[in-house]
Amino acid sequence: MDKNMLAGLEGLPEEDKNRMSAMIDHLQLRDSLRMYNSLVERCFNDCVDNFTRKTLQKQEETCVARCAEKFLKHSMRVGLRFAELNSQAATQD
Amino acid sequence: MGGFFCHFLALRNSLNPNKNKAFLRSEVSMAANIPAGIDKEQAFGMAETEMEYRVELFNRLAQTCFNKCVDKRYKEAELNMGENSCIDRCVSKYWQVNSMIGQMLSAGGRPPM
Repeated sequence: MDKNMLAGLEGLPEEDKNRMSAMIDHLQLRDSLRMYNSLVERCFNDCVDNFTRKTLQKQEETCVARCAEKFLKHSMRVGLRFAELNSQAATQD
Repeated sequence: MGGFFCHFLALRNSLNPNKNKAFLRSEVSMAANIPAGIDKEQAFGMAETEMEYRVELFNRLAQTCFNKCVDKRYKEAELNMGENSCIDRCVSKYWQVNSMIGQMLSAGGRPPM
């Protein structure tokens, strides 16, 4: 875990720290799995329409690769903006 | 499949290693300062619920803005300048809508019949 996260945990006893960090790890894993599934579904829906063959065609493969990469980059950008807005909101309270 | 998934996780983490950590910080400090009258178990429960809500908010926001801003033809793997601006603005507006509704719900209490 990185230090920024632990800064908020300073006041807590060891077992509470561990509990919080276990909770966060669990959430993170679950979120990653959900994203995996939703990304597969999205790229499949957007890129694959043709069922005359049972293997992916070259253009479908390229499309899926671009789709996945684009979504992950998008997700990163959204994460940056989200964190900015979150910290703005926190300082306003 | 397992090997592919590990590759996916590695890619995702390299692109965004601190996503969850960055925006869960407020929940962490919330749990560290337990207000009087609430026991520890409740505080953990509230922190967990709040964290789940935030993760859900992020996911819906990401899906929505992707649908609104990104061309589905996937002509290239990069986001172009137009898409980048659109994403920034979309996130900002979504956030404003989220705040508005949050305020309406906490002020009004129950929905009008």
